[in-house]
This record gives sequence, C-alpha cells and structure tokens, in this order.
Amino acid sequence: MSRVGVGRTGRALVTLVGAGVLGFAAMLLWPAPESAPRLGGLRAPPAPALDVPAPTRLERDPDLSMWSVVNRAATALTGPGAGAALARVHTRTPEGTDNLVLVKRRARDARGRVWVEARLPVLPNGTTGWLPRDALGGYRTVRTHMIVDLRRATAVLTRGGRRVFRARVGVGLPQWPTPRGRFYIRNKLVRYRSSFYGPLAFGTSARSPVLTDWPDGGFVGIHGTDRPDLLPGQVSHGCIRMRNSDIVRLGRLMPVGTPLTIR
Amino acid sequence: MEELSFDRLDADGALREAAERAGVMSRGTFLASALGGTAALLGVAAEPAAGQGASDVAILNFALTLEYLQSSFYTEAERMGMLRGRAAEAAEVVGAVERAHVKAFHDVLGSKADPRPSFDFQGTTENQNAFLKTAVAFEDLSVEAYKGQAPRLQAKAALAAALSIHSVEARHAAWMRYLFGVEPAGRAFDQPRSKQQVTRVVNSTNFITSSPSTERKRMPSYTG
Repeated sequence: MSRVGVGRTGRALVTLVGAGVLGFAAMLLWPAPESAPRLGGLRAPPAPALDVPAPTRLERDPDLSMWSVVNRAATALTGPGAGAALARVHTRTPEGTDNLVLVKRRARDARGRVWVEARLPVLPNGTTGWLPRDALGGYRTVRTHMIVDLRRATAVLTRGGRRVFRARVGVGLPQWPTPRGRFYIRNKLVRYRSSFYGPLAFGTSARSPVLTDWPDGGFVGIHGTDRPDLLPGQVSHGCIRMRNSDIVRLGRLMPVGTPLTIR
Repeated sequence: MEELSFDRLDADGALREAAERAGVMSRGTFLASALGGTAALLGVAAEPAAGQGASDVAILNFALTLEYLQSSFYTEAERMGMLRGRAAEAAEVVGAVERAHVKAFHDVLGSKADPRPSFDFQGTTENQNAFLKTAVAFEDLSVEAYKGQAPRLQAKAALAAALSIHSVEARHAAWMRYLFGVEPAGRAFDQPRSKQQVTRVVNSTNFITSSPSTERKRMPSYTG
C-alpha cells in the first residue's frame, strides 16, 4: 500500500514539474498578446493591413450574359468551322462604334480550333452563327436584361433578375412592326441635335423586316421623342420610343451588350 | 517566363501607369493628399515617417492591378467551361482566392483603388495547354512582383499584408507548375522582379486592352 502512496506522490510531482516546463516553453514560443518586448527582443507581428476574406467559389449566374467586340471581319458559318456562310460580320457598326456580338456558346472544330456561336445583327432577325474565336476580342459580361412587351407597350430593365427600370413606350405601327425576338444593345448615341430622337438613343441588333432600304440597314433603336403625347401605343416606324426623362434614366442603367427580348 | 510567348502591347497602359505611380510618386505628398481615410487602415498614420504612405498606396494599386489580371483570368476560364480535370479544379480554387485578394485590396484602398482594366485573354482561357502555360507565367510573375515590392513598403501593416499574399501566390505558382509539368521549386533562391520588369512582361501580353468604343456623338439613323 505504501508503495502505491509513494507512486501517487511521485506522479503528482512529475506532473507538476512537467506542467511547469510546458508553461515555460509556452511562454517562450507563444506570441505575446501585447506588443511589449518579449524574450529575445521580439515583438508581436503587426496586424496585416488587408483583411483577406474567405475565398468563395463562383456560382452559376443565370442572369449573366457575355458579349465581345469583333476584332477582325469574319464570315459567320452555320456550324463550328463548317457549314454554309451566313453573313459577313464587320468590325464597325453603321454608326461608327465597335461592332459587337452576343456570345451564346463555344465549341471546337475537328482541328481543335475554338468557335463561338453568337447572336448576329443581320436579317432574318434572330440569326445566330459561328465565328472563329480569334476574330473576337475579350469577353465582357452584363447582368442586365431589357424586355419590351409590345402588347402592353412597356419596357422593363432587370439587373440580376430584379427590376430596376420600367417605362411605357411607343412601338411600331402595324405597317412597320417592331420585330419580336431576342436581340442585344449594340451602341449608345449621345449629344446629337435631334428633337425627334430625344436626348439619347440606344442601337439594337434588331432590324425592321419591312424597312429594308432604310439608311444604314433599318436598325431598331430605343430612344426619346418630341411627341410624348403619343405614348404609349403603336406610333413608330419600328423603334421603341420613350419619354425623354425615361431614356435619360435608362442611359444611366443599361450597359451596351445587354440582351433585349421583344415579345 | 520569357519562354512564354507574350508578344503584344498593353493598349491603354493600365499596369504601366500603376507601376509608374509606384515608382515616381513623391513620398512627401502623402500627408497632403494621397491617403486620407486609407491611412488608418494601412496603419501608416502611426508610423514615425508617416509621409511615406503615398508610395505604399501606389504599390498596393500596382499589386491590385496584378490581382485584377489574375482574378479575371481564372474567372473567365471557369466561366468558359473549356478546361478539364485538375486544371479546371485549380482554376476554380485559385480564382476564388484571387477574387478574395481583389476584394481585400479594394477594401483597404477604398476610393484610392484603381479601376479594373479591360482584358482580352486571347483564347488562353479556352485551351487547356495555353491556360496552364499562362497561369504559370502569371503566378511566377506575381510572386516575383510581390518580392520586388515588399521591401519598398513603408508601413509594417502593408508589408505584413503583402507577405501574407506573397506566400499564397507562391503556392499557386508551385501548383500550376506541377500541373503544367515543370519543376515546382527547383531553385534555392528566388529573384524579385522590379516594377519595370513586371510591367514589361505584362505589356508584352496585350492582355490589358482599351475599352471598346461603343458610345458616340452622332445623329441616329434608326427607323424612328
């Protein structure tokens, strides 16, 4: 029994000594909570100026659309690297801005070359075609989407799926209908002298199916008006007209490359 | 990584501008104008030589531009969905980290942060081999750039931040080198690159481009 008692005392002593050694070691190794000099003259490290947040993986974004400028003129084909020629796609728009296309998807041809299927600003409306990747510039993204409802005569802009703009609009008369379909915003014209078009005009990839001999190809625009009294309703040659205050507001909200749905 | 064929020019010189600011901004101008609210975040206000913070801001903006370059590259690669296997996985993980770096720099620089330039990665995000080759070049360059700029930082807090990112970039470099099939760590000592050297390499890629001209003063000819 006495051996057992001595053993307990001995273990307790060893435990105490061990704890002391560990505590001393911890004092040497553990960073001091304050910046006072420690053993060896070392101070606690300064707090970094940056607070780097935890990395977050990219989530699939259903509202994300991608567009690209046309860096060199190319012929759009019906398939990636194959098929019939659909249209010649140029580097500039009739308005003198960089031409752009809305990117749908990518694929490789038999030789491994990358091709891009893009929505094109050509007739018939809604045409998509395949362009060589190296004819296009860098990809750019938008999270906006413009939806024009011809029956209700409304234009709605969403960003990230949430409505950020709504206006009553004028659309094409029955003899000059605004085309339905999926298009995109191609450019933005500003500071011109025309009360007819209002203070600002967006160019779209939509084209009038009837005014084919219109100057510069008969593209449909979204612009202001000098006749707000006619809105809303069927009043135009195919363009989407809105009050000047609305188009100015839209000019601040809608980036070029925004997909446009006319239904 | 001169063996990687970077052969074009930086169109709008975003990186060059940031680098020039990092090298030529007068340190003495800091108290007068440069930092404002950023000073406290950087911890430079408490530094004995507080007038040296302006160069820190310029250096951090130089680093931010490199982080923009990397985060945009990996994000685009992931969105393209053309990579496979370990390269695709690496693009997702490293992209998330680079985006976190961008956010951190934005938070600390506030209104002094340079805007994100426009990029054209010229198809390197859509080709497995080109992606890895470019990723190795970016990560090596980033490590060398941090190494080159860290000793120039005046605020200890900024230095601590740079070092904490530098080691992460070094891990990325080793990872991408391994995936590309080149030795991850063959040297006993790494050399820094000066801002001029880094800028020269990035300029030669032409990955930083000018913004497209999509707005014009011109009378519309739409159908009306």
